[in-house]
Amino acid sequence: MAGMHALHKIIANRTRPSLAKVSPGEFVEIEPDVFGVIVGVNASDVKRLAADLEELGIDRIPLRDRIYAVADHASPAPTVAIAGAQKAFREFFKAHGIRTFDGGAGVSHLVLCEEGLVRPGMLGIAIDSHAPTMGAIGMYACSLGGGRLTLYAIGRYVIEVPKVTLVRVTGTLPPGVAGRDASLYVNGKLGQRGAYNHAVEFAGSFIESLSMDMRFTFTNMGTEMGAVASYIQPDRTTLEWVRQRTSEPFTVFETDADYVYDTVHEVDVSGIGPQIAVPHAPDDVRPVDEVAGRKVDQAYIGSCASGRLEDMAETARVLKGRKVHPDVRLIVTPGSREVLKAATELGYIQVMHEANAIVTSANCGACPGLHGGILGPGDVAITSITRNFEGRMGPGGEIYLASPATVAASAIAGCITNPLAA
Amino acid sequence: MKLTGKVWKFPQHDISTGLIRRQMYNHLPPQEQGKHCMEALDPSFASKVAPGDFIVAGTNFGCGSSTPAHYSIAALGIPAIIAESFGALFFSNCAGGALWPVACPGILDLVETGDTLEIDTDTLVVRNVGSARSLQGRALPEIYRGMILAGGEKPYLRERLRREAAG
Ligand code: SF4
Repeated sequence: MAGMHALHKIIANRTRPSLAKVSPGEFVEIEPDVFGVIVGVNASDVKRLAADLEELGIDRIPLRDRIYAVADHASPAPTVAIAGAQKAFREFFKAHGIRTFDGGAGVSHLVLCEEGLVRPGMLGIAIDSHAPTMGAIGMYACSLGGGRLTLYAIGRYVIEVPKVTLVRVTGTLPPGVAGRDASLYVNGKLGQRGAYNHAVEFAGSFIESLSMDMRFTFTNMGTEMGAVASYIQPDRTTLEWVRQRTSEPFTVFETDADYVYDTVHEVDVSGIGPQIAVPHAPDDVRPVDEVAGRKVDQAYIGSCASGRLEDMAETARVLKGRKVHPDVRLIVTPGSREVLKAATELGYIQVMHEANAIVTSANCGACPGLHGGILGPGDVAITSITRNFEGRMGPGGEIYLASPATVAASAIAGCITNPLAA
Repeated sequence: MKLTGKVWKFPQHDISTGLIRRQMYNHLPPQEQGKHCMEALDPSFASKVAPGDFIVAGTNFGCGSSTPAHYSIAALGIPAIIAESFGALFFSNCAGGALWPVACPGILDLVETGDTLEIDTDTLVVRNVGSARSLQGRALPEIYRGMILAGGEKPYLRERLRREAAG
């Protein structure tokens, strides 16, 4: 009998009734360790949920101790309607004893990891397409499809056990080229369907050499390959990072030696330069030099892909002693309060202020096009966000995706710029 | 149970939820969304289709965002979608919305628009009534089958909670 992948062991561990083994393609009912939800922007949504639960006679939500709500999208509220919706959501969560993180805590996946609320070996479901980001710590994390009411009412969910694609990344980067460049390069190589409906595992000497910050960048961008979950096998780096944040116990599951991956990709990142994804596809990736010189109106650093301390350090390194071009607005939105506090202590935020950058509180910021840097028609933006689909940051805007260093260098020059040449 | 209806075939692959029902109609009441069902691919679809008819589609039907595009299909009285394969989020949304999502490799070669198709919801065998050729659809997980038979996610939960309370 062929061996099992760590992800399949994690899923099997949470099956109800409990199964010793699960196989790709099988649908199984599970009880998640954690259910991540958002403080939404549509009041009718939470009103319907509350009414449905009442109709079903549920006054104590079974998972209430493991549900975490984060106000990351459009928070603090940019409009009266959204403020009303967020109020309705907060009241609902409070009434049910669900812990809520309010605007300024950061992006949900990063907050749950940093707070130690998710740990290796866990199974988490979250209402957000980038939930797989949390797989960087060695858990199974997927986005919620249908079945929200079932999760609230009886604490169960149905998962189709995914096949696993292995992406083995090797090589070393030239100085000044960032983890995000390598991640963009891998997305370009695999394409938007490179791991479609599969779970994707990132491994290889390059991944092993990465800090947790950059590992989150990789697992985050699994979503842009169509993956349902992303995973990195926990190692010393992971365990140190997790143990700094929680003393709760956890289990590290290992992939059996005889496990056969459905698909294996080898990517060598040796010698690549700074990369950029051009409008309107996150896999239309090229060397930055190919589009250098294109004028930009807005530069944006943040999001769950590149809003971590290492990203803030890179930004400050490029901005130090320089000024943002007068025709450009550079907005920096740290990924979490932990990042913002550390970046403040380390002096990075001061460097940004000196450079005339606009530094915001920690949340999703401009990434989903709801506030904090919406693009107008014809605006060109260079950003470190997750995806550059048409109209994402505002109708008629064009979005380029690049590393924080490239975004910062372009903000100074007023046009797309290779940070190594700047 | 057997369902019999007329086929409307969309042979394209990768029809996303945004093409099934454009995102701009997301805020409309579910019943209203029917008028805009599939309009990005066939603007007159909603006016031609009759309750009980089926949609037949290619691979990966309903890929993309988890937006409840299935409302627009259910609103037209379409009881089932038979596709080469489905996007995962859409697939689970269909079950919660009491729509049969029948994954059936080979369906595009089995039927054309206007043909009459029969689905045995117990076995998920689909049969072209005219040619008498049939194919085996992929089995549905028990919980999804339960939701569809109960009339959707909420009635299913009501029954399940009652059953569990009764022990
Ligand atoms: S930062 Fe962007 S991609 Fe990440 S959760 Fe927020 S809106 Fe989504």
